[in-house]
Parts: sequence; structure tokens; C-alpha cells
Amino acid sequence: MIKVENLNKYFYKGESREVHALKNINLEIKSAEFSLLSGASGCGKTTLLNAIGALDTIDSGEIWLEDVSIGTLSEEQRTKLRLEKIGFVFQAYNLVPVLSVFENIGFIMQLRGFEKEFIAGRVEELAKILEIEDKLHELPAKLSGGEQQRVAVARAVAAKPKIILADEPTANLDSLNSQRLMEMMQHLNESEGVSILFASHDDYVKQKVKRIITMQDGAIIDS
Amino acid sequence: MFRLILSLAYKNAFLRRSRALLLIVMIAVSMSMMLALEGLYDGMTASMVEKTKRSDSGEVSIYAKEFRQERTIQENIKDAKKIQEELLLRKDVKSVSLRLQADGLCATAKKSSFATLIGIELEDEQGFGDFSEFLETGSLTLRGHKTVVGKELAKDLKLKIGSKVIFSTQDMSGEITAVALRVSAIVQTNNIALDKGTMYVNRELLRKLLQMPKNSATQIAIRSDNTRLAQELSAQYPDLDVKSFLALYPMMEQMQEITVIFNSITFFIVMLVVFIGIMGVTYVSVLERVREFGVMRSLGMPYSAIKSQILFEALFVAMVGYILGAFFGFSALYYLENYGLDLKEFADGLESFGYASVLYADMKYDYFITSFAAIFIASVLSVLLPLRRLRKMSVIEATKLQI
Repeated sequence: MIKVENLNKYFYKGESREVHALKNINLEIKSAEFSLLSGASGCGKTTLLNAIGALDTIDSGEIWLEDVSIGTLSEEQRTKLRLEKIGFVFQAYNLVPVLSVFENIGFIMQLRGFEKEFIAGRVEELAKILEIEDKLHELPAKLSGGEQQRVAVARAVAAKPKIILADEPTANLDSLNSQRLMEMMQHLNESEGVSILFASHDDYVKQKVKRIITMQDGAIIDS
Repeated sequence: MFRLILSLAYKNAFLRRSRALLLIVMIAVSMSMMLALEGLYDGMTASMVEKTKRSDSGEVSIYAKEFRQERTIQENIKDAKKIQEELLLRKDVKSVSLRLQADGLCATAKKSSFATLIGIELEDEQGFGDFSEFLETGSLTLRGHKTVVGKELAKDLKLKIGSKVIFSTQDMSGEITAVALRVSAIVQTNNIALDKGTMYVNRELLRKLLQMPKNSATQIAIRSDNTRLAQELSAQYPDLDVKSFLALYPMMEQMQEITVIFNSITFFIVMLVVFIGIMGVTYVSVLERVREFGVMRSLGMPYSAIKSQILFEALFVAMVGYILGAFFGFSALYYLENYGLDLKEFADGLESFGYASVLYADMKYDYFITSFAAIFIASVLSVLLPLRRLRKMSVIEATKLQI
């Protein structure tokens, strides 16, 4: 489903402080995979997630999401691709503060123009799975960190993307909330058939995923 | 998606209530003050124009060809009565007044002054321009040898009600003739020329004094809403001098133009303040939420939707300001239109410029339409700079995301 071929990415290219952030990356992620990008801080996990998520440009190589080559897309085409095919879970949750939990979960579905009834049904379904059904009318500021991250997961999965990219989703959570979140994401991976690619240091995440891709100094050393 | 954009815009527009409230109050106060000022400027000019029309020219005046240059009674309209009757048959003519006027010397036992004696029919003048509204003191009658005197002339000659005055002039044959008159009333028309040098007598008395033919007049003044009447009457009476109000009082046209300039300057200053206000608030609001916009873009919200959201945020606040401004502006104009602004303490100064001491506003619905358009445009323009700043940022830069 995702194929990365000979991917290279530089920061400050052509300057004396040039950094070769991603070195000749080759990677394939299949449908419904539950995998982890692992490695020390600064090894290039986030840069690779940004590139796969069509948030950042690349210097050479190819990234294929199904039959679309991300590297050749314009900014607006990449925005559309993110909307239709990629879900994001951020370390800092990044919910829209003025929207209720219900509206946050339905945010991407509304952007995609889904029917109101479908959105309502889907939000309730996910809220039940993620145990936030009693928080639907609250604003994000009134939720705990664990609850906010579950809302973010629900938002990411709601419109049924091809893949969810999650960068350190448990970094701001205590161990109990981290475990609950990972169990719920595992359940969604199995029940919804959505691929999830984590970037994390968390040992508990390592235990839960089915595949670990290890990076070092911008290169994949084990996948 | 449109509903989502509107919902986001509405919630964000009023998220920081004190800031939004300040901007709304700023727009409302400056707009209502501007409307009141515009109304007063227009009202002052309209009042001056209307009083001049009522007291003298009407919308159109007809003279004998050379009268306005020569100022002699030999240049009179001989069949004025017939023309009056013809004019009154027209549906676009509201009223017609025949006047005789002669320049001469007005004298008391102690002082004399150049003056114009105008022969009128009070009944006609009442229908023509509510002449009784100009009454300052006395009783408005022109029976016998009674005369009504302009306020400034009365002041100059120290005339009071009951004072005797001699008016001497030349009759049709060029002989010096004079008449003794007794002041029955003093009037103030706010037409400076009339107030400074005019006395009114019964038209028939003046006609006999000047030995003019029956049914003659030196001026036929006409009230009408037909803006093309002067051209039509010029064609109908080619031997007479037909003049529109603005041709007779070109200063009034300048007054109207100056009022438009004053109003435009006021309007521009207020709208500039509104524009800067909205832009400042929008700019700060956008910069505070760069990360939020970055997140929305990373989730797949198109830039055009974010642009619309920010525009609607500015419009929501600006329109609430406009509605309040329109309400307070309307209230102020309604009050000023009906009760006026009493500046009697400055009456001498105002009256010397031909203004009444109580200023009444003139409410035009154009004010509200142009204000709406200007505030709408100011809102649209005010978001361009914040949007430009946002556009320049990449999604990652905007969010500093670690996805």
C-alpha cells in the first residue's frame, strides 16, 4: 500500500550545515499493518513520517501511496491526499479548541462532505469504542490528556483513511492511559483494517506492534 | 464544508470576547458618530438651500431678459399674471409667486440704507414657502402701508415693530417717488442677502408707487419637483430669462459640493480607523492560531477554506459592529432630524453664515448602504495581510509538528 523507494531528504541543502536526514530509504507497508518506526532521537523517524504523510517535500526517490506518487503532487493535491487517505495522531493531540468532541471527531468527515446522519452514526460508534461517549458535547479543554488523545485517534480513524501516522502518541500520557490507548488502537487496526505506523520510544508500543522498523542516522537498519 | 467553515468562524470570532467587544464598540461608535455628522452636514446645507428656495427663487425663477443685469423696473414681465395662470395649469408646478422689486433708499429719521423693496401677496408667499415661518417678531400683515423688514436691516436701521420708515426709489418714468411705511413684522429667512437689505410690502401698493402696468412683475418664482423645468420653460418663453435655483445661487452648488467633500473626508477617516481596527485584531488572532491552522491544513483542510474562515471571522465581528453602529446612528439621526441640535448660544455666528441656530440632520438611506459596503470591503481588505503571512508558512513550519 505504501512503497518508499530510494528516498533521500536533506536539510539546509547546499549550506555548510547540510544534514542528510533520510538516506536512501526503501520501505514497504502493507494494508492493515500495525508497525513502529523505532530509533534514537534525531534518527529521522519524524522526517520519514512527514514525508510519508505528504507534509514535507523530498529531495530524491519516490513515495507511493497506492498508485499515487506523493513527490510529484502540488501543495493542494497533497492537502487533498491527506484529507482522503491519511489520518494523523499528534503527540500534542491538536484538537480544534472551539469545536466540541463530537465536532472534532466529525471534522474530517465534514471536510469530505459526508452526510450528516452518517457522521453522527460514525462519531457515536467510535466514541463507544474509545469510551468517550459521555464527553461528546464537551470542549477539548475540559478533557484529560488521555481523553483528548482518544478523541484525536477517533478523528484520525473516522473517515476510514488508508493509513494512520502517529508520532509519539503516548508521550504525554501516563502508563495506564498509554496502555488503554494502544489497546484501543490495536482494536481499531483489527476491526477497521486500517494500517497504523507509529514513531515512538515507548516500550509498551514496541510490545504491542506487529512490526518494528529500526532507524539509525537517517537510514533503516532493520525492518 | 461551508457549514463547518461558518461554525469555526463564528466560534473563533467571539472566542476572545473582550477583544471582539472592543472592536465592535469601536466600529459602532465611530460609525454612529460618522452617520450623525454626515446627517448634520447634509441637513445644514439642505436647510440653507430650502430656505433660499422658499424665501426667494423657488426651484425656477423667471425674469425679463435684462432685469438681472440692469436692476431697473423698466425690465419687467408685462403679462406675468397670464404666465402665472399658464404655469399653474402644469401638473409639475406646485406653486407660483409673482413679485415686484425695486432698489432704493430706506431711511428713518436717524439713518438710511440701501434696500430692496419687494412687493408680494402674503397669501401667495404662504403657499409658496411658508412665509410665516420666517417671522421673528410682530404680526405678519401687509395691509395698507405696513411693511415687513429683514432682521439684519432692522438691526442696522434700529427698526422696531411700529417704527416708521421712508422708502424712496424711481418710478417707471424715472421720477423719484417715495412711500412712508410702518414696520409690522421682522423676519429672518437665513438668506443673507434678503435679511440684510429687504423690505416687503403689498404688491399692489408697490405697483401703484412705481406706476407699473397691471399684471406686471419683475420675478415669477416657481416651486416644482421637475428638475428639467428650467429648460422646458426656457424653450416655452424664449423672450424671458428663465433661471434654475443653482444658476441663481451658484454658491449653493459649491456649498453642496463642500458638504460632499466634508462627508467624504469624514467617511474616509472613519473607514480607515475601522480597517486598521479589524486588520489589527484579525492579524493578532491569526498569528495566535498559526499552529491551529497548520493542524487543520495537515488534516486536509484546503487553504481556500482557511481563507474563507478568517474572512468570515472578520465579517462576523464587523457586521455586528455595523448593525449596532447603524442602530445608534439611526437613533442619533432620528433625534437630530426631529429635535435638532440647539446651538442658540452661537446663533449670531451661525446666522451670519446663513445657518439656522438649531441644526437639523437630514437622514439619507444611502448612508447605511455606503457604510455597509465600506465596512464589508474594509473587512475583506483587512484579512489580506494576515492571510499573506499564513500563506507563506509551510504546514510543518506553521505547526512545528512532530507528527
